[in-house]
Amino acid sequence: MEQVLIKPPVEVRYRGELEALKGTDTGRRPENWQMSPRAVRTFLLGSPKPIEYEGKEYAIEKKYFGNDALVERCIVTLAGNRGLMLVGEPGTAKTMLSELLSAAISGVSTNTIQGTAGTTEDMIKYSWNYAMLLAQGPSREALVPAPLYVGMEKGILTRFEEITRTPAEIQDSLISVLSDKVLNVPELGDDGFLFARAGFNVIGTANTRDKGVNEMSSALKRRFNFETVMPVREAAMEKRIILNEVNRLAEESHIQMQADEDVAEILASTYHELREGVSSYGHRIDKPAAVMSTAEAVSVYYQTMITGYYYGEDRIDMDCLVQNLVGAVAKENQDDLEKVKDYFNTVIKDKSDREGGLWRKYYEARKWLR
Amino acid sequence: MEKILRSEEMAEIILLPVRHHSPACAFHVGRAIESIRPCVILVEGPENASPLIPVMVHKDTEAPFAIYYSYHDRLGRISEEKERYKCYYPFLDYSPELAALREGERQGSRTAFIDLPYGDILAASGEGRGLLNREAEKNNYNDDHFLSRNEYLRQLCERTGLRCFDEFWEKYFELGGLAQTDQVWFSNLLTYCNLARENSREEMLEEEGCLARERYMAGRIREYARAACSGEAPVLVVTGGFHTTALKTLLTGEGGKEAAERNDRTAMVPREDQSVYLMPYSMEAADALNGYASGMPFTGFYQKIWEALREGDTNTPYGGVVLDMIVASGKETRRKEGGLSTCDEICACSMAEGLAGLRGKREPGAYELMDAVLSSFVKGEYSLATDTPMRILRRRMTGKKVGKLCEQADVPPIIHDFEAQCRTFRLKTGSTLESEATLSIFSNPRHRQTGIFFHRMAFLGTAFARKVKGPNLQLRKDRNLMREIWKYKWSAQVNAALIDVSVYGGTIEEAASGIVKERLVKEMGAREGAELLTHVFEMGLTDQLQPVYERVRELMLRDTDFYSLAEALRSLLMMEELGELYGSSMEFGSLVQTGCRKLISLLPSMTRIKDEDLTGCMNALKLLYQVSGREQDVQGIYFDALSRMIRDSQIHAGLNGCIHGILYGSGREKAAEVETVCRGYLTGTGGQLMGTAQFFRGLFYTARDLVFIGDAFLKMLDTFLGQVTPEEFMELLPELRMAFTWFTPRETDKIAGKAAALHGRKQADILEREEILPDWYAYGAEVDAYVKAEMN
Repeated sequence: MEQVLIKPPVEVRYRGELEALKGTDTGRRPENWQMSPRAVRTFLLGSPKPIEYEGKEYAIEKKYFGNDALVERCIVTLAGNRGLMLVGEPGTAKTMLSELLSAAISGVSTNTIQGTAGTTEDMIKYSWNYAMLLAQGPSREALVPAPLYVGMEKGILTRFEEITRTPAEIQDSLISVLSDKVLNVPELGDDGFLFARAGFNVIGTANTRDKGVNEMSSALKRRFNFETVMPVREAAMEKRIILNEVNRLAEESHIQMQADEDVAEILASTYHELREGVSSYGHRIDKPAAVMSTAEAVSVYYQTMITGYYYGEDRIDMDCLVQNLVGAVAKENQDDLEKVKDYFNTVIKDKSDREGGLWRKYYEARKWLR
Repeated sequence: MEKILRSEEMAEIILLPVRHHSPACAFHVGRAIESIRPCVILVEGPENASPLIPVMVHKDTEAPFAIYYSYHDRLGRISEEKERYKCYYPFLDYSPELAALREGERQGSRTAFIDLPYGDILAASGEGRGLLNREAEKNNYNDDHFLSRNEYLRQLCERTGLRCFDEFWEKYFELGGLAQTDQVWFSNLLTYCNLARENSREEMLEEEGCLARERYMAGRIREYARAACSGEAPVLVVTGGFHTTALKTLLTGEGGKEAAERNDRTAMVPREDQSVYLMPYSMEAADALNGYASGMPFTGFYQKIWEALREGDTNTPYGGVVLDMIVASGKETRRKEGGLSTCDEICACSMAEGLAGLRGKREPGAYELMDAVLSSFVKGEYSLATDTPMRILRRRMTGKKVGKLCEQADVPPIIHDFEAQCRTFRLKTGSTLESEATLSIFSNPRHRQTGIFFHRMAFLGTAFARKVKGPNLQLRKDRNLMREIWKYKWSAQVNAALIDVSVYGGTIEEAASGIVKERLVKEMGAREGAELLTHVFEMGLTDQLQPVYERVRELMLRDTDFYSLAEALRSLLMMEELGELYGSSMEFGSLVQTGCRKLISLLPSMTRIKDEDLTGCMNALKLLYQVSGREQDVQGIYFDALSRMIRDSQIHAGLNGCIHGILYGSGREKAAEVETVCRGYLTGTGGQLMGTAQFFRGLFYTARDLVFIGDAFLKMLDTFLGQVTPEEFMELLPELRMAFTWFTPRETDKIAGKAAALHGRKQADILEREEILPDWYAYGAEVDAYVKAEMN
């Protein structure tokens, strides 16, 4: 029986679309790219018409929302000789963007360094199979390549997640590799030079708001083109993202339930307003310190959905939604909860009076805010 | 382009659709005129500007410049208010209309504007619509919002994956358009404009005066075509593409003929009330991104494109300009911030090229340029701290060129007046450096006149002169100064600004009076009214003093804002004081009394003020005390009001103190009574106790001598400080500090002596502290460390 994965990599999830795009791509492609920059753009931003390939139709849906020009800049950067650094607040889909780009350009999104405070240089470049090292001495066979080595050797993209969580001296091990495109393995002597194949590049993601991040050195910054990923600025688009993502998660977990438009709207507007500090009716709102990202909204909805699926006869329960909201907001300090309470007592109250329906239920569920 | 073939009565008419401010359009217009060789070129634009064409195409005139239209509605044709109106029609080198006029001049064709005169357009527009839009800061004759803002367009941009109309236009008409033949380019534009027109409502077009203008233009075209019917050459009509098809229908259909004639007869706005001048304009003002201009943004960028086109690079001018911009912005960023390398510039160039390829554009344009700089020059998260390269680029893309007019350009009388006055006062206007003038305005009548001239120029917003020193009547500061020092410099912008205000009158004085009159009818408070009066006073506009004075009286009676009234009263008192010095015979007494009575009537409602309003309120109370003393009965009601105020038990503590101080000072209350009130706070519940500090602040403001009578107050203060906890004391400290600021240093010293005596010490004891020698400190630290070690 096939194992069910919690979250299959992008290239698996969109195998059909990727194949179809590759098969029908007529544009010029940079050396070692799986498809042309234009096809990469189509993969991320969708195409208005389905693509016909080997007798089947593939609808290419829009996967990244918010800023099309940013996606285009990212693609062009990756075709050039500088790395791409995605920075921004948490939960703005930086990682998703980097996965989609890798899957489309190199065919794999898993050649990844996961940056932590404990990341060391050998997790980035290479380490050794010590048994073989002792038996044979340094040789290519005894070398265990890490993602940067793999990327250079195969000519594919290397993703570096959460680069600012790793110590600055470890980050700096990228500097010479990025500018010279060569990795020296001194142990291998004259054969120890690994020259990067065409197609290699690095996509980093970095968080600028969290506590405990390490500032990047200017030498490293110079080797990257920076793209700042902003939170979604329209509540309507945020709603669409929530719906898409929740439905996708549900499908992957084999939950036969569809996300509800109205609930998504309520959640999207709550997150949007708390983040922007002003409601759609113009109330001024105290912003919580916690990160109010779209990704958080998705997880709040999804949790509520799971609860509804297993315990609640496929119904989205507003009480449960508000309970999950509390869990998502009250992470760092208690003041945030007070702010959300105030938000319910003013803005949501007003909306429940004006709109009624689900908004009223949402307002009534405020009793769980404690 | 649309052709209407020659008939027996008319020459051939060719209608050329254009969009305002577009290098590609100007380029195609130039080429088309060269091949068509028309005998007459008719351009969309108010007809009364036709006499200006020779100046516009003169070789010494440099764009950007604008036609300035003004209309004084003396007969109330537009509205009963009989207002003044103005609008601008800006031209850049790459405006197709200007390109057509210049090309016509080169070929010796007749040229003329054919639209309704400005006043008639206003008369044809619905209230608040089109050029009658009162919200716009600057109305622009050639607003092309019909082309750039509609639902059809929004969807078009979404489908084509472009972020806005300007990017759409650039991709298809500028970048893509240069390689096309004139025929194809104009037909594409016409298709687009027709689609835009289909998506605009007919009623809206009528309301904005668009249809009336089209009827008029059709009539004019017909006249010119009839006059030209003997020759072979056609009549060329250059109008916004939005009107082209409508004009064709009007010119060919029978109904159109009637409409045109009907419209022609209804011209009803007197020509003598309309004036039109050319004025130098700036790129900044013409850039659409600055909010009020029409046409394309990035004027500086497209100017460079136009220059490249003129130099013969008609195929791929963009690549070079984008490269230049990247290098120039890179250089400036490097100079300002450092840390930007040539490698960054190389990356930016390849980014721009790559994006153009990805987006299917022939060459990188303005949007690729911005994306390239954003991605390659900005290091780290994009924020206010890192966006310098983008700001530099934006400035360069807007450009800073200011236009120039040739010497033959006609100027409005106000500029002659300005020049005459400069001669009279011997002001140097030829220098490029700022000159300084020191004026003894109160002793030398000539200096006073010069000062008046400067004040008027400053009031008109001409940036000609600025006062660096001297009395400031608006802020009521530096009133003791006897001289004014002004810095002044003439530049082309001064003339532009003067033309801008020429609608208000033929002389500087008239214009200043006109603006004062206009401001008078606007809604404002007493504060603003009085401020306007100070301007009139400074500018020596004696004719205006009376109406402004009356208006201030009216405003004072209507205004219910206590602080605004108090400010107004203060300004009036100041002018009363200074009247003689400024040579004014205005009598302010009755106005002061009006304000005073009004303020007193508001007093009883002011008891429960907020903390931050305390200073303002105390100042007003003191002011009223001084003014009300002039008349017995006013004084009576003033004290009545005060005693009513202190009867409110919830009165603000500071205000209460202030009033008791006044009552004590005027002998209406004894020290002991004040003491009782003070004790009330001191022995009150928590919040009231905390109010004591504010009470003292208010009290000392008006009657600080109380402290020195006996020692009751000091004792109370001492008790108070003994009662509060250290935390409360820290909270009260700011208030207490404020309370003691009213005392002179000698008085503070005296208080300190008395306070020390209360605790059985001498003044010297509390002022001097024993020194702590380093040895002692070291010893203390040693003991500390020893004890700690022992305890562990």
